[in-house]
Amino acid sequence: MSGPVPLLHVLILSVALFAIGLTGALLRRNAIHIFLSIELMMNAANLALIGYALSWGTPEGQIVVFFVIAIAAAEASVGLAIFVALFRHTKTIDVNQVNLLKW
Amino acid sequence: MTGSAMVFYAAAVLTVVFAAVMVVHRNPVKSTLALVVSFFGLAICYVLLSAPLIAVLQVIVYAGAILVLFLFVLMLLNLREEPAPPGSSRPIQTVLSGVAIVSFAGLMLGLIRASGDPAAGADPQPLTDIARVSRLLFSDYLLPFEAVSVLLLAALVGAFVLVYSEKRA
Repeated sequence: MSGPVPLLHVLILSVALFAIGLTGALLRRNAIHIFLSIELMMNAANLALIGYALSWGTPEGQIVVFFVIAIAAAEASVGLAIFVALFRHTKTIDVNQVNLLKW
Repeated sequence: MTGSAMVFYAAAVLTVVFAAVMVVHRNPVKSTLALVVSFFGLAICYVLLSAPLIAVLQVIVYAGAILVLFLFVLMLLNLREEPAPPGSSRPIQTVLSGVAIVSFAGLMLGLIRASGDPAAGADPQPLTDIARVSRLLFSDYLLPFEAVSVLLLAALVGAFVLVYSEKRA
């Protein structure tokens, strides 16, 4: 079974999104921006999984994506709770000004 | 080029453009909204790649729940667009990370090219059949499914413990 576009194009889109997300995670200093970039990288991986699932004709890739979405929800709730707790202590979520764990 | 391929490329361009807007925008609220648009574009791609269940989950869970949670937290913290503090531009690090990202993307594309297109397996049932995916999820993948429910409970309790303050009582 083949999709509307070649698998290679799906994977190129996935790599492009992952690279954009990596740029954001490396260059931004606002913790919310870093977190959003990580979500974008997860979605790039999901896109690659769905592309391969369609190319191989097996539904396992879609099931892995299902679990990734569920785990992303758990990660987002705990991560945002950490930001709220951090903001209470330091009044900022700029990761350069948070060095509590630095020796 | 077929019509669905054109829709796929249009959705791909939309996704990439709004992902880039998300990264470069300084205002976190506008960044989050750009990511919502980007995820809608990805949902269109998922529909065309015969994963309608994942597309629906993408819209409901990702764009609808997770990113709205981000917006709630942003409003709660009252974060504004903050100007770059003086003396914070680090050109060497910026250039180095740009080089790292470009070389990473080149490496990935090279690996994809080297691996080649896998032979498409003959498949009697289409992947768009949600009943097939669900049956597999609740038979072979039942244990991971239950483990995810425990994980979500742990995340719920963990989030509560992190933000609970005793002073309020």
